[in-house]
Amino acid sequence: MSEVDVMEALYHAYVAAIVGGLALWWIALRVGGHEVARASVHSALVHGPEMVGLAIAAALAIGLRSGGRGGPLVVEAPDVRLVLLSPLDRGVALRGPALRLLRFGAAWGAGAGAVVGVLASRRLGGHWPVWGVSGALVGALVVDAALGAAMVVSGLRLRRQMAGALALVALAWSGVDLALARATSPMSLLGQAAFWPLRWSPSGLGGVAFAVLAVVLGVVLAGGTSVEASERRASLAGQLRFAVTLRDLRSVILLRRQLAQESPRERPWLGAHRSPRHRSGRRFVLWRRGWQGLLRFPLTRLVRLVLLGAAAGAAGVGTWRGTTPLVLAAGLALYVAGLDVIEPVAESVDRPTLLDAYPLERGSVLVGLLAAPAAAMLAVGIVGAATAVAIAGGGTKALAVAAVLVIPASMAGLAGATVSTVQGPPALFSDSDLLLPPEAVGAKVAIRTLWPPLVATAGMLPLLAARSTPALPASSAVSATIPVLLLVGGVAIWARHREAIHRAFKEAMGGAGTKA
Amino acid sequence: MTPAPAEPALRAADLTKSYGSLVALEPLDLTVPAGQRLVLLGHNGSGKTTFIKMAAGLLEPTSGTVWVEGERAGSLDARSLLSYVPDEPVLYDDLSVLEHIEFTCRLHDCEDWEDRAARLLEELGLSSRAEDLPSRFSRGMRQKTSIVLALVRPFAVLIVDEPFVGLDPPGREAFVNLMEEAAEGGATVVVATHQLDYAATADRCVALRDGAVVYDGAPGKVELPSLIG
Repeated sequence: MSEVDVMEALYHAYVAAIVGGLALWWIALRVGGHEVARASVHSALVHGPEMVGLAIAAALAIGLRSGGRGGPLVVEAPDVRLVLLSPLDRGVALRGPALRLLRFGAAWGAGAGAVVGVLASRRLGGHWPVWGVSGALVGALVVDAALGAAMVVSGLRLRRQMAGALALVALAWSGVDLALARATSPMSLLGQAAFWPLRWSPSGLGGVAFAVLAVVLGVVLAGGTSVEASERRASLAGQLRFAVTLRDLRSVILLRRQLAQESPRERPWLGAHRSPRHRSGRRFVLWRRGWQGLLRFPLTRLVRLVLLGAAAGAAGVGTWRGTTPLVLAAGLALYVAGLDVIEPVAESVDRPTLLDAYPLERGSVLVGLLAAPAAAMLAVGIVGAATAVAIAGGGTKALAVAAVLVIPASMAGLAGATVSTVQGPPALFSDSDLLLPPEAVGAKVAIRTLWPPLVATAGMLPLLAARSTPALPASSAVSATIPVLLLVGGVAIWARHREAIHRAFKEAMGGAGTKA
Repeated sequence: MTPAPAEPALRAADLTKSYGSLVALEPLDLTVPAGQRLVLLGHNGSGKTTFIKMAAGLLEPTSGTVWVEGERAGSLDARSLLSYVPDEPVLYDDLSVLEHIEFTCRLHDCEDWEDRAARLLEELGLSSRAEDLPSRFSRGMRQKTSIVLALVRPFAVLIVDEPFVGLDPPGREAFVNLMEEAAEGGATVVVATHQLDYAATADRCVALRDGAVVYDGAPGKVELPSLIG
């Protein structure tokens, strides 16, 4: 467990370099957008480090919370039983997995940071290789600092509440820095390092030192991680890897929630003790069932939905200002939010034994269950619109475009999630695949995987339409809303009649089997 | 409860199920008259659950058909007529026991279900946990919740797969009494079990071995342990 395989490390670096290099190359070539005005560069220098610091604090908060639940290390189940329960020093036993995780985090953090750095160079000016290297450095440090912080918390076995409180302190400190435009927290100092290509500030070294300290402490303290947490995570992580291999997104979501110990609330936020007496019949039963599920969302999921809405709004503003690829970020944020709010539908899809026992067509139950998530998704869309208007500094034009976008963007996010949830995981062995050439099966798999996020991203098309006609942005956005809503309606019709279509197809093929 | 229908409660004709080369159920012809208490016996893998799932409409036959009071298994009418307790409790993670009951009853358009629900919860010892999430229950309590959901709505045929697994003795006794009550009310009760003492009380016993019927008759006329040996 504690051995560090040099060849494996080199291989990871090699893969990361290829992936990162390709991403950099693509983005450097494709990103639209022009260099911003000098005033905007000045503004970025004044507020940028603190804004980046807040994002770093968010990453750190995620790490601290993960540590509170026994993360981030995942040890194989046999290693838990045979190695961690042996008389071997656990610090020594866990050093290898800790270093492996840090290497992996650094590679991916560096890749993501380099991409962001190159993107920044296109907007803020400067040499893109310098931005790329600086972004890679900060990205690697941020991810590893978060992992290190998590290892410190789990190694010291701090309680979840304590870890949560530390996360709040980190966020609040960075928030205050942003409000006062002063870098005092280690996260804001690291944010200064992110802007080194524009302005060298030695205090950024303080942020770097903080990140390195978190990593070193994490490695030293990792041996204190609870065996109970290690065993739980070992079992779940094994299943999670298997689900990822099968591209079973729903299982990935459920297992990730179990890893994060994110369960429904024992009592709903509202209406816990209302008697069901005198309420009968099928009217509104699916609407009500949807809300019963949504009202049991844990606080973390509600916060995540708000943050995803805000992220979509912020990415929308970036798109509006010329960074076109951010439209994908906005679409993905809404897709992930959709996957969260669609939980009442997913609960039913997961349980065909119950679903097929009701005296209603499966499709009509699923579409009926979508009503409450649609209302919740609208709320996410409103959060996004409000965030966008706030970032854009208000104004009638921004308000009008944001208001038009709420319905198509949020409904497309839900539609993407609906496709993903209702279609379920890909079949391991499909009769129809046997008739297709391997290339066609590969294309089918790719389309199946990419289609849901593409549907979600289509909801942002009105924004691109609005951007292309600066004189009348709102009316262009309204026109572009129509095809998006048609797409959303098409998804609803597909969900409603999918079973009948499959049944008819199967009967035509003369096959029989289990119900999907 | 209701007058006996002209059609048998359950009828399987030339029913088979295969998974590739594995035959889970040989051609099966079975007619269960209304009001009968039938026990399905057989060792693990004999085909009991396969038959039950096809009757419940959860599994499509490779060939043949199952009818529930003349309605094709899995059709909307058949779903209204048949209530099923699976071998493994299947419950939502985000609904309380009471919310499960309400959702089930309203989907089945039941009226005046509250008193019946209260009685079932009381008899199975769940009254004090009605507001709780079954996802946090033990296996036995989840099984009891599953039983309540099956019994709280009207049905003509009750199919139960391995009902006693995980149940404590009072829960087992309560469930046996509730099934007896349902049968006395005119319902047809089909139970797959390994509990020979329960099988001995049934009207009829059908034993399966390797997907084929090896005995069909009264339980008193055969050495029951030999059927699952």
